Order: sequence, then structure tokens, then C-alpha cells
Amino acid sequence: MKMLKMKNISLLIVVLFFVTLLPLLMDSCKPSQKVAAKSGVQLWAENCQRCHNTPSPNTFSPEQWETIGMHMQTRALLTQSEREKIVAFLKQ
Amino acid sequence: MRTQKALWLLVIVIFMNGFLMNELKAQQTVVDSSVLDRITELEKQTSYNKPGMDHFMVVGLATVGFASIKNTTTIGGVSSVSKTNSFPDADHFEFSPMLLWRHGQKFLLEFEPSFSGNSLGVNWADVSYFAAPNLIIRAGYLVLPFGTYSKRLAAGWIDKLPTDPMGIADMAPTDYGVEVEGGLPLGSMKMSYDLALSNGSQLMPDGTLGAGNITDNNNNKTLTGRVALLPFSNSSLEIGVSGMFGKVGDVSTSPTAKGNAYAFDLNYVKLFNPILLNIKSQYNIQDINSNVAQVDSLPYTSNTHATSFFAQGSIRPTGASGFIKNLELAGRYTTYNNPAGSNGLIQNAVTVGLNYWINWRTVFKVGYESYTGNINAASTSNKINSLFLQFSIQL
Repeated sequence: MKMLKMKNISLLIVVLFFVTLLPLLMDSCKPSQKVAAKSGVQLWAENCQRCHNTPSPNTFSPEQWETIGMHMQTRALLTQSEREKIVAFLKQ
Repeated sequence: MRTQKALWLLVIVIFMNGFLMNELKAQQTVVDSSVLDRITELEKQTSYNKPGMDHFMVVGLATVGFASIKNTTTIGGVSSVSKTNSFPDADHFEFSPMLLWRHGQKFLLEFEPSFSGNSLGVNWADVSYFAAPNLIIRAGYLVLPFGTYSKRLAAGWIDKLPTDPMGIADMAPTDYGVEVEGGLPLGSMKMSYDLALSNGSQLMPDGTLGAGNITDNNNNKTLTGRVALLPFSNSSLEIGVSGMFGKVGDVSTSPTAKGNAYAFDLNYVKLFNPILLNIKSQYNIQDINSNVAQVDSLPYTSNTHATSFFAQGSIRPTGASGFIKNLELAGRYTTYNNPAGSNGLIQNAVTVGLNYWINWRTVFKVGYESYTGNINAASTSNKINSLFLQFSIQL
């Protein structure tokens, strides 16, 4: 029983460690100037087709693109900047 | 006399000018009032249609089709043949609406019920919290981050072929748990991380693992994670490594059984004008070590090493003109070797297909698949040749 509790505590510590470490790690990650300068249309063409065809901007309304952008960030693991630029392009 | 005329003319011009200015001013006032009224009305309408902080929408997918299947079974040198021709049945039909509910800019609820396999199930039901720019925390009923096929590529309108590769989705279960994930820029490269803690799979009496909508059978949790690197600045190549580690035995007896799995995935999509090349691959390894585990109160000893693999390629002339640009040719080789449950079943299949894209999210597929399965111990082999017609749409 004691061993089980120790394991659970260890697991909790590991999870908390990673949750704390991740934002620090993320803050130190920066894109190169070339990548940072990419436009929404360029990122749309490069990233969407990794899984499926590039969507037509006319398919959904601006509000719907906001929601779908969040969904796609969870699926394709886009960076925040990529999502914002792609959604801004699709909303036009 | 001439000076007097000029003076009268000047007076008349000044008078007329004043008169006209007044008239114009009066008209201007009338026009401004009308425009202002219209603006006020539009403002009211805009206010009425203001979207607010939340947004709810339904998307999803539907897949229907036709399958013509010839099944040849050989036992000890004696063969028997059976044929079926079916419209979409339990194996080839899916209707999955997906509900997306956004709360402001921080929360997203996702729920995808699915009618497939003659039953109504749930593909996922979770809530995501966008905690930091590249950090998403999710909880609920999750597709675990093991490889990429189950989470990204399995949908009918995304999959290039009418069937799934064998054994790939089986090793990437859906489970109750929590998950942290995100994408990170690394100079000209990019990486992504995805880490989940879930109740874990359970060892079944036949030596396979069960997962999904089941009650947790022990106090141990399963850790599943995937790390991926996109080495090129155009994101054309993605290489991922996944691991899944947990105990799968029953806690009420001796939970010594462990289930560890690894996956390696590759995704390459690049336009070589006018051809769009699309290559996808995944290799799964699953080890179940159960020296003296108890399953359904019966002693069970098993060490199972299962593998599954697929490599798929497709080409589409997106740079061409006319209907040619909507055609896509795809091919896949897949193998699945899982000794558990089937007394040593070694399976492989080759699938080829021709797709016609009606638009970016609607496709009509024609596919042919040749499957071979061998059960070594029983000298039994099974050959299945199938022709598929499939229509798939994202809603």
C-alpha cells in the first residue's frame, strides 16, 4: 500500500514537473526570421495538405473558421502563430 | 454707367450664390439625416447579430459504398470459395457528426458520436484548454497519441483508400485520461509533443488488449506520448516516435502483466509541379509480457510480440487543368502479425485505388484489395480479393 502511494506521488511529481517545464521550454523556442515572415496563405498551403486537401476559404464563415482553427490546432499540432495566420487568411 | 452695371451684376451674383449655398446646405442636412437613420438601423442589426464569446457548430463525415468480396479459405490443401456483394454494411459505412463548441478563445469541447459497425459509439468526447500559446491541456475520452493514423488520417474523406491499414488503429486506443500537447517552432524546423495519461488497456483472455469504453481494471495508469520533428521549413516532412507504457493486468489478482508499445511514423507531402506527392507510413510494435497474470480469475501466461505496418503513396496532378487535376492514384502495402488470439496469424494486403475529388472534402473512390492471411499452426490460409466503390464527404 505504501509502495502504491509512493508511486502515485512520484507520478504526480513527474506530471507537475513537465507541466511547469513546458511553458518555460516553449518560451525559449523561436522561429527563424524566414519562418516568422510566412504569410497565412503560405502556411495554409503548406500545413493543411499534410493530412487533407487545402480547404476553400468560402467553405465556412469567419466565426466557424475560428472554431475549426482551434480544432485543427489540437489535431495537427500547429503552433499558435501558424493557427492565427491561417485562420486570418481563411476569414478573408 | 458701365461701373453701375458691373456693380448690379456683382450684387446679383452674390445674391444667387448665397441662395444656392442655402439650398445646398438644406439638401445636405436632409441627406445626412437619412444616412444617419440608416446607420443607426444597421448598428441595431449588427448588435442583434453579434456572435458573442461562444460558438457552436456541427461538422463531421459520412462514408457510404459498395463492396464485392471473394473469400478463398484453404485448410489442409482443400479450398472453399464464398462471394458477397454488399451495399454499405457494418464494415463499410460510417456516419459521424462532430460537435464543436468553442467557449471564448480558451476552451473547446469536441464530441464525435459515430454510427459504424452496426452500433452507435463515440469516437471522442473531450474538453481542451488552450493554456499558453503552444500548450493545450485536454481531458476526457481521448484518442491516444500513438502514431498519427488514428488521430489524423482515418477519416474517410482524408484516407486515400477505401480500407484502413491492418492493425494500426487497433494499437492506438481511445481512453479516459488527460493530455498535454502543442507545436513548437525551432528556428527553421518545428516540433510537436503530445503526452497522455490514461486508465490504460486491459489484457483480454485471448492475449490481446482491450480498450475504449471499459471500466478501469487497476490503479496503474498508462503513459502514452509522441514526439515529432518537422525538419524542413515548409513542413513537408514529419517524423514521429511514439511510446505507450502501462500495466494491463487485473488489480484484484496479480497485476504483473505489462503492455508496452512503440510506433514510428513518417509523413511526406510535397508538390513537384504539376504532381502532388503524398507518402505516409507507420510501424507499430506491441509487447505484452504476462508471466503470471490473472485474467477473469484464471491464470494466464503469455508473451506476445505483435507488429503492424503500412506504407502508402499517392500522386495527384494538382497543377494540371480540367478534370485530370481531380484524379488521384493511391497504393498501399500493409502487414499485421499478431500471434495472440488467432494462433499465429500473419496477414498482409496490397490495396490500389483511383480517387476522383469532387471538391476539397468530397471524394469518390474505386479500390481493389488483395489480402492474404496465414494461420501457421493450423495450416490454414485465407485469401480475400475485394473491389470497393466508396463515397466520402466531410459535412
